[in-house]
Amino acid sequence: MTAVNPVLELRNVTKEFPGVRALDCVNIHVGRNEVVGLIGENGAGKSTLVKTLAGIHRIDEGELIFEGEPKSFRSPRDAFNHGLAMVFQEQSIIQTLTVAENIFLGREREFLRFGVIDKRAMNAAAKVELAKVHLDCDPAQKCARLDFAARQMVEIAKALSLDGRLDGDVVILLDEPTSVLERREIDLLFGIIRELKAKASIIFISHRLDEVLEVSDRVYVLRDGAVVHETTSSDASITGLHEHMVGRQLDHQYYRENKQRAAFGNPVLSVRDLSIDDEFSNLSFELAEGEILGLAGVVGSGREAFARCLGGLLPPSGGEVLIDGKPVRLNRPHQAVNSGFGFVPSERKSEGIVTGLSVAENMTLAAGERFSRLGFIRFEKERTECQSWIDRLQIRTPSSKTPMQSLSGGNQQKVVLSKWQIFGSKVAVLDHPTRGIDVGAKEDVYELIREMADQGVAIVLLGDTLEEVIGLSNRILVLRDGEVSASFDAPVGGKPDQLDLISKMV
Amino acid sequence: MASINLRALAPIGVFFLLCFVIAVFSPNFLSVSNAIRILNASAIPVVLVMGATFVILMGSIDLSVEGIVALCAVVTASLVLNDTTGANLGLWAVPFAVLAGGLIGAVNGATHVYLKVPSFMVTLGIGFVCLGIATAALGGFPVRISDRGFRALTLGRSLGLPNGIWVAAASVFVALIIQERTRLGRYVYAIGTDEITARQSGVPVERTRVLVFVLAGLFSGLAGAMAAAQLGQGHALIASGRLFTTITAVVVGGTALSGGVGSVLNSVVGVLIVVVLTNGMVLMGVPPFVQQGVQGFLIIVAVSLALDRRQLEVVK
Amino acid sequence: MGKLIRNTVMVSVAAMLSTGINSATFADDLTLAISMRSLSNPYHATFARGGEEFAKSVGLPFEVLVTEGNSEKGLADIRALISRTNGNVCINVDPNDSPDAATIVDEAKAAGAYVVTQWNKPDDLHPWDHDPNYVAHMSFSGVGTSKEITNALIDAMGGEGGIVAIGGILSNVPAIERKLGMEMAVADTGGKVEILDFQPADWNETKAFEIMQAWLTRYGDDIKGVWAANDSMGIGALEALRQEGKAGSVPVVGIDGTEAALSAVEAGEMAGTVAWDPTWTGGMGLSLCHAAATGAIDIAAEPHAHREFYGTGIVVTPANIAEFRSRDASFDYNDYWAKSTGQIQYQ
Repeated sequence: MTAVNPVLELRNVTKEFPGVRALDCVNIHVGRNEVVGLIGENGAGKSTLVKTLAGIHRIDEGELIFEGEPKSFRSPRDAFNHGLAMVFQEQSIIQTLTVAENIFLGREREFLRFGVIDKRAMNAAAKVELAKVHLDCDPAQKCARLDFAARQMVEIAKALSLDGRLDGDVVILLDEPTSVLERREIDLLFGIIRELKAKASIIFISHRLDEVLEVSDRVYVLRDGAVVHETTSSDASITGLHEHMVGRQLDHQYYRENKQRAAFGNPVLSVRDLSIDDEFSNLSFELAEGEILGLAGVVGSGREAFARCLGGLLPPSGGEVLIDGKPVRLNRPHQAVNSGFGFVPSERKSEGIVTGLSVAENMTLAAGERFSRLGFIRFEKERTECQSWIDRLQIRTPSSKTPMQSLSGGNQQKVVLSKWQIFGSKVAVLDHPTRGIDVGAKEDVYELIREMADQGVAIVLLGDTLEEVIGLSNRILVLRDGEVSASFDAPVGGKPDQLDLISKMV
Repeated sequence: MASINLRALAPIGVFFLLCFVIAVFSPNFLSVSNAIRILNASAIPVVLVMGATFVILMGSIDLSVEGIVALCAVVTASLVLNDTTGANLGLWAVPFAVLAGGLIGAVNGATHVYLKVPSFMVTLGIGFVCLGIATAALGGFPVRISDRGFRALTLGRSLGLPNGIWVAAASVFVALIIQERTRLGRYVYAIGTDEITARQSGVPVERTRVLVFVLAGLFSGLAGAMAAAQLGQGHALIASGRLFTTITAVVVGGTALSGGVGSVLNSVVGVLIVVVLTNGMVLMGVPPFVQQGVQGFLIIVAVSLALDRRQLEVVK
Repeated sequence: MGKLIRNTVMVSVAAMLSTGINSATFADDLTLAISMRSLSNPYHATFARGGEEFAKSVGLPFEVLVTEGNSEKGLADIRALISRTNGNVCINVDPNDSPDAATIVDEAKAAGAYVVTQWNKPDDLHPWDHDPNYVAHMSFSGVGTSKEITNALIDAMGGEGGIVAIGGILSNVPAIERKLGMEMAVADTGGKVEILDFQPADWNETKAFEIMQAWLTRYGDDIKGVWAANDSMGIGALEALRQEGKAGSVPVVGIDGTEAALSAVEAGEMAGTVAWDPTWTGGMGLSLCHAAATGAIDIAAEPHAHREFYGTGIVVTPANIAEFRSRDASFDYNDYWAKSTGQIQYQ
């Protein structure tokens, strides 16, 4: 299926990071006026691919061909100027600038009059671009005043503004553009994509298979950094693509269900009528030693806020939390930590690990008390204990003194988890513990979660996928609009169906 | 720990290169007596950077150096045999000066942490307050020291080296122990690199910050006592120019102003670079009116060489 | 700019407030004031003390304004003082920078206040062009005194050998004049004395210390004398010599007559310094200003030599230190020009 005259082509592109081959001989081409879908699980290499295209990462091997010539973009800006516009998962909107200033950032030259920017002309031009995405807002207002979805539309408008301003081809890359959009906005976006197809090529990246099939002409499936499948949308089925994505039939063994506990120890955590204004209200449950409680819910259901509340990052506004029957204060992280909560944040890079420190230093960060005497660090004790954890968790690192940043995401996450085990947390709050890590490493993390439960740690889990929540949990609470909408028991053999949960989520 | 890697070697390279160039133009530079003079001139700056490095490693800044040094020099001068007060504590004045410095550091830290004022503003303000107190207390006149025994703190020699060098060496030793072997040192790196994670892991961020400012104050206080001993007096202007040397030395040594990267040993090298630069200019006979320009230029070169341009994060 | 305006407004508000307070106590009194750079150096501290003593002697209110090296602040404070006293004020001012003098004189003239300036003013600004409000300008001959103290150094060296010289901030007028005087004195020896090196230490003790150290490496025993453009730097150099056990064996001279330098002269460690007598400049400046304001003298009728004049800089050496210490430092506030050493000359 080689398109005639592809606009953009990746030939045998390989990219390696220490310990991980993030892209493995990837071949992808995008034809003129074509919508190409790119799917894959978290950690399959989609983000790396995007960053490689944008020039954020250098290609180790292989080449990038744009309009028939080998190219290597130096930065997203460079790519943009050549006609490759991207809408990133993480927004690149500068909140303190106005909508119009964001759309034309770096291209102010077009609006210069006697050396100063003609704001009226810029705002008028922005209005035209905003009309393309049917976003009705004042181009002179600051982006900070828009909500997330509207900012996303501004970002898309920024990418679309390339259209008609360049002579050559235009490729627009949309990286997970729908994850925060409402259905109505998604339909709008898809309408725009179809309109745009007449003038540009589009790469659409998502993990939502239905959406990809709906809008794309052709689909690539990425798994573990390699293209494992390529098909036209008309020939594809959701289940078929799913199997290619996951690389196996759904397997109960994947979530170590044979190690799921059926009986638990003493009750350890009681949450009573816990509330945070505008986030969630009157949340109550009990959790026993060794029990895994899954929380399901869409963005905005309040489950992220709840997890951060247990981590001491968002002070509760009402209700109480008890550990071993004693009320605890959660106004500050160190109160949460000392009460027995171990919080594993979803933003591992910015919140979970300290990149400059070594593996051992990260492991003992919380348990400093135990590894020091009169303020002086007990290096021998630290080294031996950390080494035993490295061995037990099979953390791939040259030594316990290796800087944290040279470990792969999965191994970093194991270090974060071991930090709380070393500290001796009673309740582990896992916020997307497998986000952005390799499939293999995911299984290690599942193994580790089971092991923690075995040792009597109570676990509150916010999974990356529903499948993960169902597979790992003993019990599942579904949250909707800040309240518990349903509770499911999930014993081995009696797991609820994804659809059951979804119906209570929305 | 984060300090022992190739990056730490860049400033050392700059240092040796500088020494080589100066030695080519002025062979006297390599004499033992000049080496001692350079070490001696480095003594007070080294003590100062010991504190400043921890503050900068934490991502903060301490601009109160000149104020604390001046005030503590005045305190010291007033406590030993002098022409203004009746005191005669001799060397016992030193612990008082160090404590006074620590106290001011505590004010710095507490104001910064508990009132959430940026360290830049707090320390700038406290520095001025200290200078103000020193000025007001003395009405603009110096306190002159007549205690020979006290002045031996920097003037005397032990094992052939001026005592000031030994005091500086002891400070480096203490700072290195704190950096490498204590929780405080580790917390400094953790906070400087990633305060959010450190906080989430239960690190007592506020307490650590205050402690580090106290530490910086203690070192500044010691430097104040040394300055008083070296110049035989204490007055409000005794420390002028020290702040620039201190911050420059820390940065030239390769410690990042953004925090988390660097070490007290780097800063020692930084001080040597700055001091050798001044010394070398005079030795090579660089015309005075271009000296400042050359010095500024070389400092930028040194910093750019010491900078680590590798991407710090592996992004997947 | 906006900040500047706001500052000025705030100062004016402060001035209005304090007018209300002050007017109750001494509504009709003439106010005496001194304006200068900083209270934290001995020269200016003594200068202010001299002014205060005169104010006490005539029983008038006295104020000290400090510029902190900031011309804007200096001018704003003076402006506020003039408006607060309705121009009923005498100011003895050491302007932060030469151009400031012109502004101060203009303000004073407009409000009927009286001004005496010290050290810094533009060469073409003269008291007699602004009668009667610009009473006088007092200064010291930087070149002349520097020449004298350098000769004292050369004497101490036995008339020949190499000297090293430490200067002030290169662009300061006194630094330039003092350097010039030193060079002239050295030239007069006909080559018997040589300037080994000249380095600026920006009036800073510590910098002088470090430069002196480097010189010891570069010239060693060839250094027969050390010249410093002020006493602080002289003391810095002396301490560097002390570190090497050479204090007293290499003569050092400075300028300013600080207590530290005078003691070093007494101890034989410095070969000399120049005492300016800031008590006199502070007190006599105000006295002259006061006399003009009250009509005790008709200042406009005085000759130019009484309007722009040099004070006396006393060269103090080990030979005359005892005499200097025991001299009668008091002076007659009504004998205005007793210590003048002539009309100011412009190069």
